[in-house]
Amino acid sequence: MLEDVKDGYEAQAKSLQGMLPGTDDLRKKALEELAAIGMPTARTEDWRYSDLKALKGGAFAMARTPKENPDIPAALGDVSARLVFVNGRYRESLSDMGDLWQAASIRPLANHLMSNADRVGELVRGKDGVALLNTALLRDGIVLQIPSGVEIDDPVEIVHIMTNADEKAAHMRHIVELGEGASLSIVERFVGDAGAYWTNSVLQARVTESATLTHTRVQEEGDGALHTAKAYVNVGAEGRYHATNLSLGGSVARFEAHVRLLVDEAEASVDGVALAATGQSHDTLTHVSHRMPHTNSDQVFRTVADSRGKTSFQGKVTVDKDAQKVEADQSFKALVFDRTAEANAKPELEIFADDVKCSHGATVGELDEKAVFYLTSRGIDPVTARQMLVEAFTAEAIARVPHDDVRAAMTDRINAWMAARKDT
Amino acid sequence: MLRINDLHVSVAEKEIIKGLSLEIKAGETHAIMGLNGAGKSTLANTIAGRDDYEVTKGSVEFDGKDLLDLEPHERVGEGLFLGFQYPVEIPGVSNLNFMRTALNGIRKYRGEEEISAADFMKLVREKAGSLGMDTEMLKRFVNVGFSGGEKKRNEMVQMAVLNPRLAVLDETDSGLDIDALKIVADGINAQRRDDTAVLLITHYQRLLSYVQPDVVHVMIDGQIVKSGGKELALELEEKGYAEVA
Repeated sequence: MLEDVKDGYEAQAKSLQGMLPGTDDLRKKALEELAAIGMPTARTEDWRYSDLKALKGGAFAMARTPKENPDIPAALGDVSARLVFVNGRYRESLSDMGDLWQAASIRPLANHLMSNADRVGELVRGKDGVALLNTALLRDGIVLQIPSGVEIDDPVEIVHIMTNADEKAAHMRHIVELGEGASLSIVERFVGDAGAYWTNSVLQARVTESATLTHTRVQEEGDGALHTAKAYVNVGAEGRYHATNLSLGGSVARFEAHVRLLVDEAEASVDGVALAATGQSHDTLTHVSHRMPHTNSDQVFRTVADSRGKTSFQGKVTVDKDAQKVEADQSFKALVFDRTAEANAKPELEIFADDVKCSHGATVGELDEKAVFYLTSRGIDPVTARQMLVEAFTAEAIARVPHDDVRAAMTDRINAWMAARKDT
Repeated sequence: MLRINDLHVSVAEKEIIKGLSLEIKAGETHAIMGLNGAGKSTLANTIAGRDDYEVTKGSVEFDGKDLLDLEPHERVGEGLFLGFQYPVEIPGVSNLNFMRTALNGIRKYRGEEEISAADFMKLVREKAGSLGMDTEMLKRFVNVGFSGGEKKRNEMVQMAVLNPRLAVLDETDSGLDIDALKIVADGINAQRRDDTAVLLITHYQRLLSYVQPDVVHVMIDGQIVKSGGKELALELEEKGYAEVA
């Protein structure tokens, strides 16, 4: 790693000493490892499709709280609470906890660590430079703890806004814990202005026995942004984790979901849609690990790449030796609009058990012109026809979002993306 | 209504239609019969405006308008409907969504207001019901999992809902059993009025027993070689194309 980049981040970590109780040692270790392995490069297997220019340049300074409060986008639908982050810092005055605080524990990261210094060890350190930097520079985040048996129906929206943060970064760490039989739905939103900022987010979740966590992400960062996000999720017996990611914004955007099905009957679905306009690069990496028998997973991803847009999907499924009677499915389809659009697919299955059902499918293709003509031959203009086909194409990947209003908002955004294309 | 004059059409640089002229007046039902390769589908696709069909000579006028100058969806706005020989499956798009968007596309072209959800449901249930298609089927994705007969019936339901002035039906009867054929024939006959016209493209006489044409044309090697009344179809069936032409 470049000396000055290393020095820059070390200085930032130093300035954060003592900020979050019990984290100094963790930061130090993360920095040491970061210095040793450096930021990911094109030769780092998991990052081979990602555009890493932004990470190689100078160190991103830490984003600061802006003088004026930014506009907060309207909620996508009914919510049980709205938690707002501006430039990486939780803003209680801009948030609304509704009645949720009566049923569950919602606390900023600092407060959580202050009361639970012994749990610092649960913070995931991370394996690559991006995650390690998040650990070294973590400052703020939200900790949601839902007690056993408590079911929250309406989603909790976590809104992340970046403004006036050109060449600055926000490193956030969220923690979600569901007690036995609890259920929670979170909708993460990411918006920002046109600057070249960096959102680096890590969300850790623990879904215990018979609990259900629904995780929806609507990523609409600004045009110049770098967005890197990781979700580390452990699922217990009969626990359920359902994730849906919609990647629209940013110049380079990346979402990783690392899901471990740790006990029998745990289930997970990880779905997503990525729409890469000209010059955009959207990457998704999933790793679902089946540790125990009778666990199921399903992944449905649909991506669309316009001229000189890029999407990639790396889907790893590992099934341990004792994880018999596992069912794991993966379906990845990519649409490219012309020969300059690029879609990469890398399904990877490592299966050590012998009584399992695992399937995977990856296709890359163009819009079926026969289908386009069928629609236009019925009086539908070509722009609308293509929009309908892309909406149909992506529908399956957002079908598991349980809230009709949120799903409709996602569909609207997919259609708006199509409508905004210059050459249709 | 439709006037085709000395039409020449090439596909992949090969001339398929070699000088075809045809006139269809409102209220008339015409049938074009010919063997595979005669150019019948090429004619249908050319009228509908499909890419890859290059008109090298001649004209197609629809109510005095130059049809070839219009985009496919604009031709539908003018009142054209193409029944496909091989209807396309469109996963993810429901029959209802498809037809409502199509109807509104046509209305938009004509400067009319969009149809209300209630009026649309009433219209589509009526038209689909009269052809034996239930609401469950309407909610399904376009032609996905439909049998051959169900796909052709779906074409008829779409035609009924869109109510064109000129319906060009490309081998609408191919692959149908007698029950499905009757349903399709009912659909076509319901579309025949004084102010509409139908152009049936087929190489079997069977459909023409149920949908009796006013004029029958015989197409061989890209040209219409003979025209006559509905008896011509029976004659073709008896004697074969070589003999009749």
